[in-house]
Amino acid sequence: MKKIFISTLAVSLMLFSYSCDTDFENDLTQIPVTSGSADFSRYVALGNSLTAGYRDGALYIDGQNESYPSIVASQMKLAGGGDFRQPLMADNLGGIPSVGFSNKRILTSTMELTIAPGVGATTLANIFSSGPYHNMGVPGAKSFHLGIAGYGNPANLPNAANPYFIRFAKNPTTSSVLTDALELNPTFFSLWIGNNDVLSYATSGGAGVDQKGNMNPATYGSNDITDPTVFASVINNYINALTANGAKGVIANIPSVTSIPFFTRVPAMPIAGLNDAQVTQLNGGYAQYNAALAQAKSFALITDAEYQKRLIKFEAGIANGAVIVDKDLTNLTAMQIPSYRQTTANDLILLTASAVLTPSAGGGTSVPLSDQYVLTEMEANKVTTATTAYNASLSTIAQSKGLAFVDAHSKMVELSSTSGIRWNNVKYTAEFVTGGTFSLDGVHLTGRGAGLIANEFIKAINAKYGSNLPLTDINKYSGVAFP
Amino acid sequence: MKRILISTALLAGVCTYAGGFRVSLQGVKQLAMAHTSAHAEDASIAFFNPAGISFIPSKLSVAAGGFGAISSVTYQNFDTRQTYETDNPIGTPLYAAVAYKVLDNVSVGFSFTTPFGSTIQWPEDWAGREIVQKMSLKSMYFQPMVSVKLAPWASVGVSYIYATGSVDWDKAITGFSGTLNIKDEKATGQGFGMGFYFRPEDNLDLSIAYRSPVNMKAENGTATFNVSQAIYPLLGLNANGQDKFTATLPLAEEYTLGATYKITPSWKISAEMNYTGWEKYEKLTLDFENAPAGNQTDPTVLVNPKNFHNTRTYRLGTEYKFNSMIAGRLGWYYDESPYEDNNFIPETPSFDANVATGGIGLNFGNLGVDLAAAVSFPKSRTFNNQNIHFAGQAKARTYYFGLGVNYNLN
Repeated sequence: MKKIFISTLAVSLMLFSYSCDTDFENDLTQIPVTSGSADFSRYVALGNSLTAGYRDGALYIDGQNESYPSIVASQMKLAGGGDFRQPLMADNLGGIPSVGFSNKRILTSTMELTIAPGVGATTLANIFSSGPYHNMGVPGAKSFHLGIAGYGNPANLPNAANPYFIRFAKNPTTSSVLTDALELNPTFFSLWIGNNDVLSYATSGGAGVDQKGNMNPATYGSNDITDPTVFASVINNYINALTANGAKGVIANIPSVTSIPFFTRVPAMPIAGLNDAQVTQLNGGYAQYNAALAQAKSFALITDAEYQKRLIKFEAGIANGAVIVDKDLTNLTAMQIPSYRQTTANDLILLTASAVLTPSAGGGTSVPLSDQYVLTEMEANKVTTATTAYNASLSTIAQSKGLAFVDAHSKMVELSSTSGIRWNNVKYTAEFVTGGTFSLDGVHLTGRGAGLIANEFIKAINAKYGSNLPLTDINKYSGVAFP
Repeated sequence: MKRILISTALLAGVCTYAGGFRVSLQGVKQLAMAHTSAHAEDASIAFFNPAGISFIPSKLSVAAGGFGAISSVTYQNFDTRQTYETDNPIGTPLYAAVAYKVLDNVSVGFSFTTPFGSTIQWPEDWAGREIVQKMSLKSMYFQPMVSVKLAPWASVGVSYIYATGSVDWDKAITGFSGTLNIKDEKATGQGFGMGFYFRPEDNLDLSIAYRSPVNMKAENGTATFNVSQAIYPLLGLNANGQDKFTATLPLAEEYTLGATYKITPSWKISAEMNYTGWEKYEKLTLDFENAPAGNQTDPTVLVNPKNFHNTRTYRLGTEYKFNSMIAGRLGWYYDESPYEDNNFIPETPSFDANVATGGIGLNFGNLGVDLAAAVSFPKSRTFNNQNIHFAGQAKARTYYFGLGVNYNLN
C-alpha cells in the first residue's frame, strides 16, 4: 500500500514537471545594450528650442534636464555613450532680464496663465569655460542660423546673434553653432531644425513675408518664411560637415506647427452665446460696413465671393466667427472701408488672443482682432506648403546620407487625433494643459512630451543602426506644473 | 462569533494569482488534497457543499483554520527593459464552520470564509502606476445553512450568503501629476448556495454544489484625489479633494462536481472539477458623483474592460492513513486564469497554474489537527493589453501553508 502511495507521489511530481515555463524566456535586464553600427561616445545635439529643452515660454534648468537629447543621451550611456553636458541656465525662472526675455509661464491657483514672479538670474555672460556643451540647441534658431559665424557675438544683436548662443559659444566672434559642434568631433549627432523657419511667421499671425524665391537669408525678417531651397541647401551643408569624419546621426522632420495648442486652443469660431439684443446691437454696428461693401461690389472693386466673405453678421445661439483684420483682402481704404471679415473654421486664432477675446474688451465683436492674433487660412496654407517642402528635403537628405530619420510630423498628427498616444495607460493628446505633452506656451513640449519624442529618436536610431537602446518611461517626466 | 469578527479585523487579503481573485483556501485538510471537497469528515465541508454537513459522522462538529499565502509578481517591460516586483503582504485567509444535527435527518450549519480577495502592492513608481499602485480587495462570507437527508445515502442542502467586502485601490493620475485612492469598506452583497451529497456506497462520496454569484455593491465609496488644490473645482471635488463613487464588483458563481473513492479503508483518492462563472466580470464600472474622471459619454463614468471568461479547475488529491493517528495527504490541481494573455491586468494578476499540495492530519480522538502546504507553478505570461495600453511579461511565485483544527462531538 505504501508503494502505491509513493508511486502516486511520483506521478504527481511528473505532472508538475511538464510545465517549467514559469520563468521568463529572457530576463531583459540581462540583455546587453549595444550601439550596433553606431558609436555613441560623443553625441552632439543640434537644433532649436525643442532640442534645448525650452518650455513654458522660457529656457530653465528643469526643462533642460528633461530635453529630448538629454533623455536620448542617458539611454546612450547604457551603450558606450559619454558625458552629455548642457549649457544650463542660472535658475528655474528662465528669464534673461538684460535682453528682455521674461520668466517662464505658470498657472495661478485659479488656473490662469501668468509669468512667474521674480528676477531671472541668467545673463549673457559666456559659460563656455564650464563646457564644452553637447546640447547645442539654440532657442529661436532657424535652419540657416546654425551656420552663421558670430551668431554668438553680442555685438551682432538683435538680428544676427542669439542670446542663448552668446552664453555658450566657444569663440563668440567667430563661432557658428555648426563649427562649435564640429570642434567636439562628434561620433553621433542629432539635427532637428526648421520649425522656426515657419513657426515665427505663424505665431506672429502671418506678420512676416513668405520669402519663397529669395535665396539670401541675410535679407529675411525674423517673422519670414524661409525659402525651401535655402532650407535644403543649409541642411545639406550641415550634414556634409557633420558626417565628414564618418559620424552617424539622426534627423527629424518638422511637425505641422498649426496643430499645436498655440493655434488650436482658441476655437476658430469663438463668439458664442450671444443673445438677441447683443446680436441686434452688433449687426447694427456693422450695417454701415456691410452697406459700403455692397457699394464696392457694385463698382466691381470686389468679386461677389469676396463680398460674401466680408459681410459681417452675428447670430444668436451659434458659434460665430470673430471679426478680424485680414490684410490679404482687397484694399478698399480709398473708399474708407477697412479690411474686415469674420473668421471661418479654416482660420486659426492664436492662444495670445484669449486675453482680448473677452466680451468686456469687445475683442472679435465690436473690436476686430488685429492681424497678429490670427493666422488666416491663406497664411496657414503658406506655412503648410513650406513645411511640406522642408520635410520632403529632410527625408531625401536622410535617405541619401544613410541617416536615421524621425517622422515627427506623423507623430504630431497621431498626437493631435482624438485617440492621442497612449503609454502605460496614460493618454497623451495635443490639448492645451490637459493633453500632457504641451507646456504652458502652447508650442513647446513638457518633459513627458520630450520623453515621447525621445522615444521616437531612439526607435529610429535602433532601426537604422541595429542598436538596442531601451525606450524611456514617458510618464516619469514632468507635465504641466499645477500650482 | 465575536471572536471571529475580531480576528477578521486582522485579516489581510491574499492573491493566489490563478482564478482571478477567487482564493481557494477554505479548508486546510482540503488544501492538502488539492482543495478537493468531497470529504464529509468535519464542519469545514459547510462552505463547499451545504448538503455535506448531513454526512459528518458526529452530532456536532466545529472546524476552523487559517492560511498564510506568500506571493510575488514580477513584471518586465520589453521597450524600457525595466523590471518591477511586487512587495505584497502575507495574505491570511481564514475560515470557521460549525455543523449540528438537529434531528437525525436535519442538520444546520454556519460557515464563515474569506473566499475572494487580493492584495497587490507594486512599487509606487512602477511602469503600471496609472493602472494600480496598490489594491486590496477583501470579502467575508457568512453562510447559515440547512441540510436534509433524503435517504440514508443522499442529502440536499441550501445556504444563504451574506457578504461584506472592501476595496482600497491606489493609482497614479499622471495627467494631473497626482494619485487617486478609491475606497469603500462597506460593500455588501447576497447570494445562496445549494448542493447534493451522495454516498451510494460506503466507499464512495459524490458532491454536487452550486454557489451563486454575489454582486458586491459599493454604494458609498470615497474617491480621494491627491492633486493640486487648484484642480479641485475642475474635478468637482469637495474641500478635502474627495468625491463619491458607486461600483459593483461581481464575485463569481461556482459549480463543483467532486468524488472521493476509498480504495482501501485507509487510502482514498478524490477528484474534482470547479466551473467558475467569471464571465460576469467583463468590465468594472466606477460611477463618480462629480469627477469627470471617466472615459464614457457621461464623463463621470469610468469603464474598465476586464473580459474575464469562465474557468475550469481540475483537482486530484489523495490521503493515506498511516495509522489511526496520522494521515498523509497529497494533491495536484490545475487552475485556469480567467482571462487571455492580452487581457492581463496588473491589479489582479492571474496565471494558469499547476499547484502541488501536501499535508498531514493528526487525529487525537475528537480533536483533529491538520497541516497543509502548497506551492504554485504559475506560467509566465506575455501580454499586450490594448484596453489599458500596457504590455510586457509577468511571472509569479506563490506558496501557501495552513493550520486547521476540527472537533467532532457525538
